[in-house]
Amino acid sequence: MSSTLMYFLGFSMTYILMAWSIYLPYRVKHLHFLAVATMAVTSYMGGILSVNFGWSFLPTLLLSIVIGALISYLISHTIGNAPTFTVVIVGITFVFIIKTAIENTDYLGGTIGLFGIPVLDHPLIILFAFLLVIGYFLYRIDHSRIGRAASVIFTDENLAKSMGIKPKQIGMLFQTISGGIAGSAGVFYAFFVGSLFPDFFTFHLIGTLMTILFIGGYTTMWGVIPAALILRGVPMILPSSIASWRLLIYGVLLVAIIATKPKGLITKKMLWELLKKRSGS
Amino acid sequence: MEFFIAQVLNGLSLGSIYVLLVTGFNLMLLVAKIIQFAYPQFVVISMYATWAVLRATNNVILAILVTIVVSIFLNLLSEPIFRRITSIKGTDINATFVASIGLSMVLVEIMSHSLNQGFPISFSDNWVGGSVFRYGIINISRSSIFAWVGGIIVVVAFFYLLYRTMVGRLFRAIAENRHVAKLFGIPIFKTSIMSYLIAGLLGGFIALLLSMLIGTASPWLGESVALKVLAVSIVAGLGNLKGGLFVGLALGVVESVAIGYVAGSWSNVIAFVIMLIVILAKPKGLFGAAVE
Repeated sequence: MSSTLMYFLGFSMTYILMAWSIYLPYRVKHLHFLAVATMAVTSYMGGILSVNFGWSFLPTLLLSIVIGALISYLISHTIGNAPTFTVVIVGITFVFIIKTAIENTDYLGGTIGLFGIPVLDHPLIILFAFLLVIGYFLYRIDHSRIGRAASVIFTDENLAKSMGIKPKQIGMLFQTISGGIAGSAGVFYAFFVGSLFPDFFTFHLIGTLMTILFIGGYTTMWGVIPAALILRGVPMILPSSIASWRLLIYGVLLVAIIATKPKGLITKKMLWELLKKRSGS
Repeated sequence: MEFFIAQVLNGLSLGSIYVLLVTGFNLMLLVAKIIQFAYPQFVVISMYATWAVLRATNNVILAILVTIVVSIFLNLLSEPIFRRITSIKGTDINATFVASIGLSMVLVEIMSHSLNQGFPISFSDNWVGGSVFRYGIINISRSSIFAWVGGIIVVVAFFYLLYRTMVGRLFRAIAENRHVAKLFGIPIFKTSIMSYLIAGLLGGFIALLLSMLIGTASPWLGESVALKVLAVSIVAGLGNLKGGLFVGLALGVVESVAIGYVAGSWSNVIAFVIMLIVILAKPKGLFGAAVE
């Protein structure tokens, strides 16, 4: 397999994981950018554990999932049912603080970066298998009582409360799972790329993930898959003169989609009708 | 002590700018019902306009006029996009936030690719101005005085407009309840356009004051400012105009004192950590949110 194709698939799958970690809390209207900060923490943690302490991939992955979920769980106590923009600003602020902390810590490589992380032998197979597991897990959540409760919260929180649904509990649960998924994405990223730079974890990453989620469609977990492949993957195979305008294209697409199809290109209703048509024929 | 006082005075200048930014941001939130994350980007582009005119003509009056016109133009240009989004059935304020992030990405990319070849711009010493008063290490510059006086005048004028004029009454009515305001015959569209126009005018003033105060601008300036404006707005309580005045000034002072005492980029983090603690303790803001 060519290295371009390998990077295309590897990056796309990592972005799908991250987009799912933002998709799930958005089921209850939480734009949970804390996931990006969590990804930064676990990727550096994974890098340090492997480079300095000789940890292998699997225990690092498991620890990162736990740490990621724990960070989000602790913070979800205060923002589990906070308004959308409070969740947004808490997430972005954490990203900024973590990035500054990394840049000012020599042990983590500072602004120069952290190098020498052992790259996985078969990263795409492991990443794909993990993606299937997480995908199945999210599918089960989406189609469970909790998923249906989340849909009610999204539509009308007061209605949800009157039905006995507890928005804070569901918000906390989704934020915690989001942290776990982002934690795993951090380790996959570190062991796939082999080097880490604080400049990766910036507002650009948040913007890219938002573009993937809102263009793909936030009403179903499937929308982010083609969106990540097209938006994150395709620029990697385009000439650099065009690829350097990537964020401008994302921005234009984001505005255009929100102004014409605010639920994104792939919606739950669309998939449902497609399924009905197929079963009918 | 002298050093502390000097930093507090610097902080008050910076805080005045934050107050103006948050006021413009809140105005659009309350009247147009949008989260305009790209508002600080419009201010930065207006700063580029100031720089370009000064460089080309060195005419201060023309630079001021062009800056204000550019700011108003950009704000009005964004109006149809947000009107379209808010008119779609089932969309909420989150959609306007997402679109404004998209808009912000577009503007940053244009600035970083096309304006001054992506390099930061610097304003001349004539524009930034020298020292007006000096006592030991306490130095009051012309730009600081402009920021204080300009800040006070603009805020007083804005609150006069809001509480003593017909337009202000319309703004407050829409902010209170858009649907009831419509039933009472208030022209929502015209009033909304007016809010964009005033926010644009305010943005023009902010661009002028900011260019004098910091003397430089870069394509990425807007991102960090936008983050601070959103944070101030949430700490104060989303849409709370009076709370925004207090928290905006406080942020300026905390940031400036931190820059004076803490080395490197850590100084920027301190203000964010304080705001984060406040947000985590009071997720709906210190003074209560006017918008849910």
